[in-house]
Amino acid sequence: MKGGQRSMKTIMQITLKGVFRDRVFHGIMVTACAFLLIPVIASLSMRQVTELSITLSLSLISFILLLLAVFLGGTSLWKDIERRYTFSVLGLPLSRQRYLLGRFGGTALFVLLVTVVLGVAAFVVVLYASIIYPSERPIVWLNMAACILFDALKYILLIAVATLFSTVSTSFFLPVFGTIATFLAGGVTQQVYEFVNSPAGDKLSPVIRQVASGLYYIIPNFGAFDLKIYAIYGLALPVNGLLLTIAYFVVYTGLLLSAAAALFARREMR
Amino acid sequence: MLRTASYGMACLVLYLIMIAPFTTYLKNKPFIEKLGYVPAVNVLKSVAVDQKELVSASFVLKVLMYFGGLAEKQFVVPPDYQSMSRLLHGAVKLDPYNMDAYYFAQSFLTWDVHQYKLANELLDYGMKYRNWDWYLPFYAGFNCSYFLHDYKKAADYYTKAGELSGNPLFKSLAGRYLQESGQTDLAIAYLFTMAQGERNPALKKTYQTRLTAFKEVKRIELARASFLKSGGIMPVTIERLIGAGLLTPSPVDPYGGSFYLQADGKVATTSKFAFGAAKKDSE
Amino acid sequence: MNAIEITGMYKQFTGKRMTKVDALKGLDLTIAAGEVFGFLGPNGAGKSTTIKLVMGLLRPTSGRAQIMGMDSCQAESRRHVGYLPENPAFYDYLSAEEYIAFVGSQFRMDKVLLTQRSEEVFKRLDLWEARKRPIRGYSKGMVQRVGLAQALVHDPDVYILDEPMSGLDPIGRSLVKDIILDLRIRGKCVFFSTHITDDVEKVCDRVGVINKGQLLVVESVETILQRGLEGYTVFLTNPDGKKEELFVKKAELQKCIEQSVILHQSVEKIEPCRKNMETFFLEIVAQQ
Repeated sequence: MKGGQRSMKTIMQITLKGVFRDRVFHGIMVTACAFLLIPVIASLSMRQVTELSITLSLSLISFILLLLAVFLGGTSLWKDIERRYTFSVLGLPLSRQRYLLGRFGGTALFVLLVTVVLGVAAFVVVLYASIIYPSERPIVWLNMAACILFDALKYILLIAVATLFSTVSTSFFLPVFGTIATFLAGGVTQQVYEFVNSPAGDKLSPVIRQVASGLYYIIPNFGAFDLKIYAIYGLALPVNGLLLTIAYFVVYTGLLLSAAAALFARREMR
Repeated sequence: MLRTASYGMACLVLYLIMIAPFTTYLKNKPFIEKLGYVPAVNVLKSVAVDQKELVSASFVLKVLMYFGGLAEKQFVVPPDYQSMSRLLHGAVKLDPYNMDAYYFAQSFLTWDVHQYKLANELLDYGMKYRNWDWYLPFYAGFNCSYFLHDYKKAADYYTKAGELSGNPLFKSLAGRYLQESGQTDLAIAYLFTMAQGERNPALKKTYQTRLTAFKEVKRIELARASFLKSGGIMPVTIERLIGAGLLTPSPVDPYGGSFYLQADGKVATTSKFAFGAAKKDSE
Repeated sequence: MNAIEITGMYKQFTGKRMTKVDALKGLDLTIAAGEVFGFLGPNGAGKSTTIKLVMGLLRPTSGRAQIMGMDSCQAESRRHVGYLPENPAFYDYLSAEEYIAFVGSQFRMDKVLLTQRSEEVFKRLDLWEARKRPIRGYSKGMVQRVGLAQALVHDPDVYILDEPMSGLDPIGRSLVKDIILDLRIRGKCVFFSTHITDDVEKVCDRVGVINKGQLLVVESVETILQRGLEGYTVFLTNPDGKKEELFVKKAELQKCIEQSVILHQSVEKIEPCRKNMETFFLEIVAQQ
């Protein structure tokens, strides 16, 4: 058991090394230069410079993490298969499950790492903006940290989705576009569900309503991870809801990875 | 190799030749101050996914850029207030906490478009979310008293603003101005506060212009009062006041209109305190 | 215990438009520990498929494969195996040294041993100078040698090598032959596929010929070479100094030598005349 964990850890290390050596981190740092523009844009606001700087910082982090989740998550496994690395790696006494989890874990760890770095950058930017244009509303730093963390969790969940798609796909189209589609669907699923179950939704045919409700339980619900409003306007965080969301994250990611592991174990390496 | 180099050189020369006219073209290209179509809010919410706050902020900034662009050209073209209102309403549907949207919308909805009810509905909507913010009831109170002459409701709003800010000023402010005779003073005090707190140059200028206009109105009102006091009768025209030496220099409407006295003696202006209105009337 | 046991291995691939292709049609093969086994077959015969099935990269449609008595579906079955894939590719952003360290950790080698062993294999495979450069910049032959290094580094008992000589220059090929012979001396089991008959003749104990998914023959190399013996060319020098060359049938060699003694001829050289491995291979394949 312990040896198995160690072999998974080395796969994670290799994954991280690959991401760094492919200069992904450099790319992120270049993109993160956009943080420098945030105080300038935020100063256009009339009444809420700090709030706007928080909005822009959080959105920038989200954007970068989304790109990472889609492209790293969607290509990590596919690239190994495409470049025939799987033959050599899976020829080692390493189970496919461990390999898959290691690949996922390495990518997730990188996303967490980037989140921390970008989070620090966001804190600096917001602090700067709030010193130049003092805010009427106190900044709740804890809310901001929670918001960024939950954002990271959301994108780690998305990486699990991408991993699942990668296990059955022979090209990168399904992992990449499937992940983007899931992300979009997961963002509106709550709204659709609420609409379908509202009086306005009664006009819809029962089949559509049932399909929509069914999809609501299948598609990951990303809406729950969005705490931007709480961070931007310093509203009180719904603690119980957040605990539930963490539980949802753990269970749903577990489900996705189990399915991915099961599918990948059966996959033929031709 | 030589061939590639010569092609490269040729392209570089062509680039240098065309870049100057290209830049001039772009520089002189008219700034199309169009706000564009805004999709239905439900659609927007779906498209914005987890970036509702960003989209909301971008709407406000778009309106602001548009307005700023027009302000720079002295409002040669009257702003498309309807589209501005639509965008800002969309913005608060996406992010009901967006203060910029409330602030800006209530400002032009009242002074320029005279949609006082719509403005106060928007402010009421905002108060449900920004329940810590004294600005929203402060604006709503002013709108009630100054524009709608609903002094009771205005007092309620001012009390709420007082409670939220913990500032007793609002109560005394309400007491002092909440009557017909105090309206110009109220407006001047309000506009002065707004102009003071404004950082956006375009908006600050609109407040200052309006403030100048109201200071002129106040001057005419004072002249009118002293005319009444000395002669016992109400003046009929501004010119009478100037002729009596009570109004020097003669009042100037910064909106380009000219002041006159209504039948009931109230000071009015042909510009209706807005750019473009004087022009429309003369057409 | 047998090193590799393949029983009733059947593999069907589903191709385009759901067409079924039988890649392996019931393969039975046992390779003993300490044996060097050459797996010979033309391109597309099913060599790689067999190896991938043994390595657990493919799942058999029916039948099974075992390594050291453990089913090849289990990851643990590869614990004692050094595997070289066909035209191997390794994480190319890593250096050979890093990759070998990764492989070593997967085999739970301790650090001291790993350092010592990797130095040995790098030097042996002429990768010592290049070991710190990323694999990305390696030539095809160098990548092949990295593949051998990662199969050798943990000193397993079983080696499964898919086309170990491909992509190598003559020096490299002879090095690989040396390595396999060395492993044979040390009692290791080597199972390798090739389509080059010469490789088999030089290093193998036994050879199996596969074509179109069927194992046609399994034979010891010695037997094949014996059976293929058709006769000898005998080089003689007459008493007058004139040289003579005679073809003698297998059974008549003794007689010929006796004759030469009578005739006072001196026997300079006797060369066996036989069908070589290539002829053997071509005949087998042609018979099918």
